[in-house]
Amino acid sequence: MNDQLRAISNLDRVIHEPGRLMIFALLGVVKECDFLYLLHETEMNKGNLSSHLAKLEEAGYVEIEKTYRGKVPQTLLRLTRAGRKAFDDYRKGLKAAF
Amino acid sequence: MKTEFQNLMEKPKRADSYDGTGEMVFGLMALGYGLLGYVQVALPKNSIWRQGSYGKLLFFAGVLLMLGLMIGVTKVIKKRITWPRTGYVKYRNPGRKFWWWTWMVGVAIFSAVIAAGVAFLMRFDRRHDWISLVWMANQPIYVACYAYWIYRMERDHPWKWLVLLFMALGLLAIALIAPAGLVGLGQLMLLFVGIVWFGSGGATLCLFIRHNQPPALEAE
Repeated sequence: MNDQLRAISNLDRVIHEPGRLMIFALLGVVKECDFLYLLHETEMNKGNLSSHLAKLEEAGYVEIEKTYRGKVPQTLLRLTRAGRKAFDDYRKGLKAAF
Repeated sequence: MKTEFQNLMEKPKRADSYDGTGEMVFGLMALGYGLLGYVQVALPKNSIWRQGSYGKLLFFAGVLLMLGLMIGVTKVIKKRITWPRTGYVKYRNPGRKFWWWTWMVGVAIFSAVIAAGVAFLMRFDRRHDWISLVWMANQPIYVACYAYWIYRMERDHPWKWLVLLFMALGLLAIALIAPAGLVGLGQLMLLFVGIVWFGSGGATLCLFIRHNQPPALEAE
């Protein structure tokens, strides 16, 4: 197997899914944001976004914090250190592959 | 040419200007400095605004009030209008080092551009004093900065280019029709810039409210 193919096969599949990649692209450049912000920017539906976030939380890439803004519930989201490293590695891997 | 992915990564940066607060803040700043500067040069010499330390004290009180207004207006709009509609986002510290030499080079280039502008204007305009000409030479820089802002931050609002055109033509008209030796010409120009920016930001805010309704509350 040549280097390019190996780089493609080594890509992190948790990040590689288009919906989750969008989430990473947005969370990667901010400190934190809430669920509504991601919903607005990714234009996914709530169910889809929730299931992607659950997978990312399970992988240890995203930290989810349930809180309140006044009396309104708010879900805060941020990339963990492992998530940032995985995203950097993914981008390097993708560059190497192409 | 940027990829869709790079555009997506730049979205959070642009999200800060969805609601027009950035323009409104710059507009308030220009209005504040324009107004404070104008009263300091245009009012009679025996006015309290022009009496040594009282005048300076009033000027700094005005600046503090303006800063308070800028911060307060932004916070209220973000908390009550923007975040409930399009979500809350907190930006990362870019972590870049501040280089003094870059700052110094920038100031030197800026001064050279202004000096060249004043020298150019002096050849054609003999009606105004050099202070007014310095203010006039500043105007293309405001226009250029606003054009850059629109290009980077306002891609969803192409009508802003018309606002830019209006601003540039308005400034040109003020420079051309101002009577010779008008006191506070520069400050009047700054007031005009402030009104345009504040108005444009206000229009963006109205459009934002019209096109974005807060979602119904349910589980996330």
